[in-house]
Amino acid sequence: MIYSIGDSIISPLAMTSHGNFEAVLRGESRLQYYEHAFGLPEPSFLSLFDEERLDQAFSALWDCGTAGYTRMEKAAIIAASQAIREANIAADRDNVIFILSTTKGNVDLLENNPYEPERVYLWRSAQLIAEFFDNPNTPVVVSNACISGCAAQITAANLLRHDGYKYAVVIGAETLSKFIVSGFQSFKALSKERCKPFDANRCGLNLGEAAAAIVYTIDEDDILLPDNTMILRAGAINNDANHISGPSRTGEGLLRSIRKVSDGHDLSRLAFINAHGTATLYNDDMESVAVNRAGLQDTPVNSMKGYFGHTLGAAGVLETILSHQAIKHHTILKTLGTEQPGTTQSLNVSLQTQPTNGNTFLKLISGFGGSNAALLMENHISNITTNDSSSTETRLAAFPQQEKPTISVISECQINDDTVVLNGKTIVTRGAQCDSWLADIYHAIGMQYPKFFKMDNLCKAGTLAAELLLKDVNFDRETVKPDWAVVLMNQASSLDDDRHYQATIQDADSYYPSPAIFVYTLANIVTGEIAIRHKIGGESSFYVLPALPPDLMQKTMNQCFAANPELTHIICGWVDYDEGKCDVRMFLYQSVES
Amino acid sequence: MEELILELKEGIIDVLNLEGMTPADIDENAPLFGEGLGLDSIDALELIVLMDKNYGIKLANAEQGKEIFKSVRVMAEYIQANRTK
Repeated sequence: MIYSIGDSIISPLAMTSHGNFEAVLRGESRLQYYEHAFGLPEPSFLSLFDEERLDQAFSALWDCGTAGYTRMEKAAIIAASQAIREANIAADRDNVIFILSTTKGNVDLLENNPYEPERVYLWRSAQLIAEFFDNPNTPVVVSNACISGCAAQITAANLLRHDGYKYAVVIGAETLSKFIVSGFQSFKALSKERCKPFDANRCGLNLGEAAAAIVYTIDEDDILLPDNTMILRAGAINNDANHISGPSRTGEGLLRSIRKVSDGHDLSRLAFINAHGTATLYNDDMESVAVNRAGLQDTPVNSMKGYFGHTLGAAGVLETILSHQAIKHHTILKTLGTEQPGTTQSLNVSLQTQPTNGNTFLKLISGFGGSNAALLMENHISNITTNDSSSTETRLAAFPQQEKPTISVISECQINDDTVVLNGKTIVTRGAQCDSWLADIYHAIGMQYPKFFKMDNLCKAGTLAAELLLKDVNFDRETVKPDWAVVLMNQASSLDDDRHYQATIQDADSYYPSPAIFVYTLANIVTGEIAIRHKIGGESSFYVLPALPPDLMQKTMNQCFAANPELTHIICGWVDYDEGKCDVRMFLYQSVES
Repeated sequence: MEELILELKEGIIDVLNLEGMTPADIDENAPLFGEGLGLDSIDALELIVLMDKNYGIKLANAEQGKEIFKSVRVMAEYIQANRTK
C-alpha cells in the first residue's frame, strides 16, 4: 500500500496545506489582474507569490541568505521541508528518493542568468533541492506538461514498489515568468478575468504559482494506519494519440485512465471528482465527455483553478493534497468562479461547498502532448469497511506487484551527430555538405510525414528514431493501441526549443511570441508526436536526468511493464538535442507473452 | 492584390514550415484549413502572429481568424483593408 505520511502546500494564499484549505473554504483567491506582469505588453490574470513572504519562509530554513536559490527552488524546498518534517523521516538516507514535478523549472534564466549556466536545466534544480536535504540519490524530474504532478505521484508509487525505496518525496513546483505567460498568451488560452471552470461563458485559464510536496511510503496492505491517512490506491496515464495541444473531443485518453484506476474498485463511496477544470473551452468539454462516458456524470465535480489558477507542474500535487484536506473534513469544495455550468455533456459541478460521507476521490488531469492521468485516492478511516468486493489482487490492478515479465528487444536505434545506426547497422552517414542533419535523415529513410518539418529538433530526433524502430514491425497502424506505451528521458528537456522561443520574446521591438515554437517547449511533446504518428494510446511519460546511468533504461522499462500489465510494447529510450548535439538511444521492447 | 497574394503564400510556406511547397502549389481560392492545406489550430495561431508581425493587424482571438483565414485571397483582401504597415 502506498500512502502519504506528510504533505505541504505553499501558495500565494497560505504557507501550509491546512492554511490553504482554510483559505479556500473562505472562498479566498490571490488571482488578480496585472496590466503588465513581467513587462508583458498584454494584461493577464495571475496568482503570484509574495516575494517577501517566500524569502521569510526560506530564511527560516536556511540561515545563509536567499540569494543562492531561484524562486522556484525556494518554493520547492519550503514545501518539501514542511512535508518531510511532518513525515518525520531522515531525508539524507539512501532509501529516500526525490521526485520533482515541473514543466519549466528555471526557464526565466534564459533571459538573465546570474547563476551557473547549467541552472536552466531541470535536473540541476532537482539536484540542488535534493542536496539541500543531503539526499544521496539522483533525483528524478517528471516533465509531462500539465499532468506532471499526478505523473510524479505514479512514478513515486512505481519507484517504491519496484526500486526498493522506502520513501518518495514528490515535489510539484512552478513559478511564472515572461516566458510562460507570453506563451499561453500566444495560444490565446488566457482569460483576462477570473477563470470560470466548466462555465457556459468560460473564456480561458488563469496561471498561478505554487509548490506542494507529499512524502509517500510503502507498507504491507494490512498495516494499521492512522485515520485520515491519504492512500494512493491507483494511478494511470494514457495518451489521446490525437493532437499535441488540443484535447481529444471524445476524451479517449482520460476515459482510459479513469477506467483503469476504477477497475476492481467500488466507487460507491466516491465523494467527488477533482477535475483539471482549466476553464478553457476544449479542456472542460473534453472532461465532461470522459466523465459521462465513464458513467460518473452524477458525481460532484470540482476544480481548484478559481483559487490558485493553473499551477502547471505543481497542480497535480497541490490539488491532490487539497482534495484530501477536503475529504478528511467531510467536505466537497465549491468551484470558485463558476456561475452557470455549460459543457458538451452535463456535469454535476460543485457550485457550493457541501458535506460528504465519501472517503475516496478521483483526481483527473490532462495536458499538452495528448497526455492524461487519473489517480484514485482514499482517505483511510479505520471503522469503515471499504465495501470493496474485489480481491486484494484486483484492487492493486493499477499498481500491480507482478512477476517481472519476460521482455525482448525488437529493435534499437541510435542517432548521433554523424550516423544513424539501426539494429547495429549504420544506415545513414552525415554528408560533407550537410545543412540540416535531421532533415537529411528524413529524406534518406524515405519518410513521408509533412508534419515532421513543423517539429522542433527534439521531436524530429525522437520521431525519426521511432520511425526506424517500427519500420519492419508488423503492427496495427490504423487504430489507437492502449497496450503500447512511449517512455522517454533526456538531460536537456526541451531547452533547444526553449532558446528558440526565448528569441521571439527577448526584444521589445521584435516581440512576437510564436505559438508554433512555444508548443514544443515541453519535453514530453516528443512522446505525444510519436503517440500521434503511431497511434500509441497507453502511457506516455518523460523524465529528465543529469545523465543516463547504464541500467536506468532497463529499470524504467521493467517498471513500466510491471505497472501496466496490459502493455505489449514500449518505446523506451534516451532522446536529447542540445546546443546542436543530437543523442538518441531508443528501443522497442515487447513483452514476450504478447 | 496579386503581389500581396504571392507575398502571403511565401510567408505562409515559411512560417508554417510547409516543406517542399511552392507558392504555385497553393490555390489562393481554396480553403486553408480542413481539406485545403490541412492546417491545424496551431497553424491558425501562427497566422495570427504573421498578420501582426508583417502587417500590423492584431486579431483578438482564433475565432476571428476563422473568417479571415478562409483562403489566401480572403486573407489578402482583409490585409489590404486593415494593414497598418
